[in-house]
Amino acid sequence: MADGTAHPASWDRAEIQALFDSTTGWLDRRVLSDEGLYQLELERIFARSWNFMCHESQLKAPGDYVVSYIGEDQLIVVRDEEGEVHALLNTCRHRGNALCRAEQGHAKSFVCSYHGWNYGLDGRLIGVPGLSTFYHGDLDKSRLGLAKARIESHLGFYFATLAPDAPSLHDFLGVTGRTGLAMVCANGEVEVVEGVQKNVIDCNWKIAVDNLFDWYHVPYSHASANTAGFFDIARIQFPKSQMVMLGEYGHAIGGPVIPREVQDQIDGLSDAQRGEMSRAQPEGSPRIRPKSATDLMGPEGVRSQGHPNIFPNLWVTISGTQMCLRLPRGPSHTELWWFTLVPKAAPPQAKREIVRRMNHVFGPAGLLEQDDGENWSQSTRSARGVASRGLGQALSMGLGRDEVRVGAGGEHYVEGLIGEHGQRWLYRAWTEWMSARDWAELEATRSAPPTGLI
Amino acid sequence: MHTSELARTRAWADTPPVERAVVQYEVEQFLYAEAALLDARRYRDWLALMAEDVEYWMPVRRTVTNADIEREFTKPGEVAYFDDDWAYLEMRVKKLEAGSAWSEDPPSRSRHFVSNVRILDTQGDEITVEACFHVYRTRLERDVDQWVGRRVDVVRRGGGGFLLVKRHLFLDQTVIQSTNMSTIF
Ligand code: FES
Ligand SMILES: [Fe+2]
Repeated sequence: MADGTAHPASWDRAEIQALFDSTTGWLDRRVLSDEGLYQLELERIFARSWNFMCHESQLKAPGDYVVSYIGEDQLIVVRDEEGEVHALLNTCRHRGNALCRAEQGHAKSFVCSYHGWNYGLDGRLIGVPGLSTFYHGDLDKSRLGLAKARIESHLGFYFATLAPDAPSLHDFLGVTGRTGLAMVCANGEVEVVEGVQKNVIDCNWKIAVDNLFDWYHVPYSHASANTAGFFDIARIQFPKSQMVMLGEYGHAIGGPVIPREVQDQIDGLSDAQRGEMSRAQPEGSPRIRPKSATDLMGPEGVRSQGHPNIFPNLWVTISGTQMCLRLPRGPSHTELWWFTLVPKAAPPQAKREIVRRMNHVFGPAGLLEQDDGENWSQSTRSARGVASRGLGQALSMGLGRDEVRVGAGGEHYVEGLIGEHGQRWLYRAWTEWMSARDWAELEATRSAPPTGLI
Repeated sequence: MHTSELARTRAWADTPPVERAVVQYEVEQFLYAEAALLDARRYRDWLALMAEDVEYWMPVRRTVTNADIEREFTKPGEVAYFDDDWAYLEMRVKKLEAGSAWSEDPPSRSRHFVSNVRILDTQGDEITVEACFHVYRTRLERDVDQWVGRRVDVVRRGGGGFLLVKRHLFLDQTVIQSTNMSTIF
């Protein structure tokens, strides 16, 4: 874990940009191990971007709260009496003690366990023991409310940012980020199932993130889940029918796709016919989404059977029934939070079946995820040795072979074989976020979604 | 929600001590033998001790305040680390046998400790038993994981021995401090 004493090394713009070469796919492995770069990530990526906090179904009643993170800053996300949701820094303005020590709960107000300062659900300081006696009335409570992050929601998903000058959540997500979240809601409104699986993997957070675009690893890394009969890799992978959508600020969606001509046929079907078609095909086949999903996900997005990442660290899984936050915990550790979501209107038995299946996919005991953790931690370890970190990582698959198409909704995407476009887009965005000193500089220097041959 | 499981039933408490001692001995020997199979990586033999209708479950535990304590564990049907029936347990075993379960090859070295064994109830062929577990796992050069908790098992008598019908595992960690749980508990 980071000990908090490290000082960001002085990485200048040119040095940061040299860490990833998007023309060759060469990635300097220090990106995965350097303490100074990690501290800079906390400032320039996490504290600056929009970070996923929770879903509205986790905050049903006034006073309901969850504790979440922006990087290593802890926040209380709470619904107040008026129904408004706030994101409050979980640190008392007196001496810094944490207000909430439970990960979720229900509160009328937040009372600090150190000296008893009391804060309203909107973060205002409403009570100070001994205000008139020990402080002689000389304390301006109006200036000592809990620090607040900006919080906005899209489709019921709450995100917070510490940057006052960040664009709106809507603009930050852009078409790719919005499509990614819509994937979760493609079958109607959703709710989070009770229980967030949490575990710590000995890997750099970016190794976990770039892996979600990596459909190359599936048959090899997950061969044992295939042999065990948990899933049929041949059916789910579509190595020759892949789509990668590359969005603003580093968002991307990568993975299998329903070919245009097949989707054209689906588009002609009613929801009842689509339901029949879904039931007739074997498990693991492409998800045939209802008509309404096209409005939500767009005509290209609706074809995607891939994995969205909302930059920097929110993975929406292929089925849209799980989401995973990858929280940074020092250069060599990542905390994974797995959320399971089900359509609100689904019958109880259908919900139970989804939950049972999802309980076996990801998470530390998941039949897939068990093996990912092993690979990620060993890849992170090798980024520390002097000689091995000097070798760099090779992310060159498919480089220069795919032509970007632009969809009617402004989607930028490539279609073709499995490649590493998503990973390259992630690290390119990473160098841009890392070398910009503020939002204005990021906006002035970042890459727009690409066009042409990539 | 599990307080009912904490107490021994009246009927069992009223059973004469000598009879209870014999059952206690038999059940303990079964649990130790089962743990030894896991430590010896004899997963097929271990699977043979699972009843066809086995229910193997580890809920998510959460850090909550005392006021909210009934939400400490998720409930059946909600998110869980293990939510297995016999078919899922067999999948875990097949996965371990596949020759490509990278998280267990090289294999972990594990030690399953079972202690504080208390029989809570007997109903016909079935015995409900509470125990504490401590699973120590080390793998590769220096990875060490420890999982400690309480469990409630139901074992069923038959064929000269016992079968495991139910295992509910209540882990003490809330954020699991491990890269994975490729271990069987
Ligand atoms: S630190 Fe919170 S009241 Fe003193
Ligand atoms: Fe994987």
